[in-house]
Amino acid sequence: MTATMQPKSEAAEAPRRGKRTPGTGENTRPRRGPMQFGHWWWALPGIALVFAIHYVATGIGGFFAFTNWTGIGSFKITGWANFEAIFKDPTKLGALSNTLFLAFGSVLLGNIAGLVIALGLNRVLKTRYILRTLFFMPVVLSPLATAYIWKYIFDFDGPLNAFLTAIGAGDQAKPWLADPQWAIWTVLVVLVWSSTGFAMVIFMAGLAGVPVEVEEAAAIDGANLWQRFRNVTLPAIRPAVAIATTLGIVQGLRVFDPIMALTGGGPAGATETLATLVYKQAFALGNFGGGAALALVLAAIILIFAVLQQRLTRSNPED
Amino acid sequence: MKSERLDMTQHRRYSGLKVGALAVPTVAALILTGCSASTGSSSSSGGSQEFSLSFATSNTIESPFQVLAENYMKSHPNVKITFNPQPNDSYDQTLRTQLQAGNASDVVVTSPGSGTGRSILPLVQAGFLEPLDDAAKQLLPEGSASTFGSDGKVYGQATEITISALVSNETAADAAGGFPADFSSLQQQCKALESSGKSLFALAGSAPPNTGLMAMSLAASRVYAEDPKWNDKRAAKETTFAGSDGWKAALEAVNTLKDAGCFQKGAAGGGFDAITKGLASGTSVSGFIPAPSWKQLQSAAGGSQFAVRPFPAEQGSGNSYVFASANYAFSINAASKNKDAAKAFLDWAAQPEQTKAFAEIDGALPVSGLDKYDFDGGAYKNVGVLIKDGKYGPLPNIQWPNSAVYDALATGVQGIITGQKSPDQVLQAMDAAWEQ
Repeated sequence: MTATMQPKSEAAEAPRRGKRTPGTGENTRPRRGPMQFGHWWWALPGIALVFAIHYVATGIGGFFAFTNWTGIGSFKITGWANFEAIFKDPTKLGALSNTLFLAFGSVLLGNIAGLVIALGLNRVLKTRYILRTLFFMPVVLSPLATAYIWKYIFDFDGPLNAFLTAIGAGDQAKPWLADPQWAIWTVLVVLVWSSTGFAMVIFMAGLAGVPVEVEEAAAIDGANLWQRFRNVTLPAIRPAVAIATTLGIVQGLRVFDPIMALTGGGPAGATETLATLVYKQAFALGNFGGGAALALVLAAIILIFAVLQQRLTRSNPED
Repeated sequence: MKSERLDMTQHRRYSGLKVGALAVPTVAALILTGCSASTGSSSSSGGSQEFSLSFATSNTIESPFQVLAENYMKSHPNVKITFNPQPNDSYDQTLRTQLQAGNASDVVVTSPGSGTGRSILPLVQAGFLEPLDDAAKQLLPEGSASTFGSDGKVYGQATEITISALVSNETAADAAGGFPADFSSLQQQCKALESSGKSLFALAGSAPPNTGLMAMSLAASRVYAEDPKWNDKRAAKETTFAGSDGWKAALEAVNTLKDAGCFQKGAAGGGFDAITKGLASGTSVSGFIPAPSWKQLQSAAGGSQFAVRPFPAEQGSGNSYVFASANYAFSINAASKNKDAAKAFLDWAAQPEQTKAFAEIDGALPVSGLDKYDFDGGAYKNVGVLIKDGKYGPLPNIQWPNSAVYDALATGVQGIITGQKSPDQVLQAMDAAWEQ
């Protein structure tokens, strides 16, 4: 089984290691041969833009984390004061725990749901192409627009409460997004809904690479459905799991627009995340320095979890 | 390999692609720079007879600022005004970014004080606003010079007087047996209305500006009626929010209102649409919204009459009090190249007939001649006596040092309604924000 998978993964590794495959570049480079297409300097505008937008802008933003700038006028360099304020403020620590809860909650549930759907739609079903499109739809739609639709669904006078009342559970009707206990779970539902399609596509790509023969061989050897999944399919799609969870966590940690549209961080901070706090501090409350410091903390957290997560799901320790 | 070969054939066949690949980003860059430069060039190219005006809009009704400016263009055919309306919720941020970048409009709408993103004092400190002349000084509402500028200079020209209290559907109030006169009869009426599926107040509990305005209305008779200079004392550290009995009583009254069933069902999650829907349909009697809204509501709900009312004070306290202040002002961008045209417009807008016209367009009170204003019979008849008796003061947060104090109050009141926070916690958070 491992032997079947090995050549595939090596083939996938080769270009990543940056080795030139013989015949593509070296032979043709000195002359303007038929293989030549493009010059390195063509990339310069793109490199300049990436450098200016991603690195210079981020660097300047990072610098303001050490100042008391309000967004306008002059400023003073205040050292680590903004960071001290963050770690002393209980509301900001609450936002940190909300961020982690939503990120890991949406990754876990979104990936499980995505995997189940991908397995279900992998081969057998006739309507699988339509269903795949439907499940992928939330990823394509604007998160802001769909968040407003969800907001309407969860509204006190919205369809969910109307449904509950219709089935005789009217006492369960509540303003879902303004209920301190339920608001964060309601937000989680929306995040899982929107991330499932993305995980599904990655898992389907992974599943396409699982050879039917191996599964059949395992079935002939007497493995049941769960054993085939556990011992054949899952190890084969491990790289897909790594990608889906890493991207999910990065996306989950920085998620902003659905929360802003659904609750605005409310009620009274119950769904506040680091991303919504960054926006509020920097732009709504004119504390640009504090907002920039918070954004740096968020960036560091994302980096730590992305690296950790990559280590944990590395495809094979022997590689 | 296969795809490379394909690329090559395409490349040979359509060598124009090479040019295209370079041309697309180049053209895009030109368009982008062209876009960003256009605002600046159009405002400066027309000389002194042309200027631009930025204001915030929050609904589809034509902004009173735009109507006023259009009237100016009608009476001054050689003047061209470019309008730059911005959505209200992003106006502060856009204004600050544009001023910082140097491409803001020539005339911008600002607010007095330092409590919001569009407030005059921090913008003056950053050097973004141009000092105005005597016309603006004469329009300064009494006792508000310190919120319109510093060192004897004025940087904002008040446009109208806005009352911040209650706007009520009088037709619905009459059907419910009349609007309550004091706080205890108010609680009785809340219970009566609740049992009939209605509510005395429509609250946008998920919109912090609305919960904040409600808390300030509750503080009007409990804090500012007794001590109109309370904000000065807080600034001088002679008192604190947490140490003020009046503020404590105001926030405890939020709980009283909630327990008496004064808010519509699901109020904690309500948005501003809950207020417009509730008041227009008459399922809610009143709301904590700026007074000029009465006019828009009346035009939206044909059969109902709307009016402005003070929040009922405790019985026998004689502490009825409203907030009446110039909440919006015209300012001139210090980096403007059309200052003469902008100043001419402001001088024109300061004329008594224009301030009167502006107030009428917006449904507010005129910034000049308030002492001679005829309150009887209009939407303001219930607050006329208070204004004439001087029982009014500026909206408190205008005098607060930063927007974080109001944010702490507004989100805190949301927490009181959902049971997450106690009045003491909210007041302590406001004190902490004040010291930032």
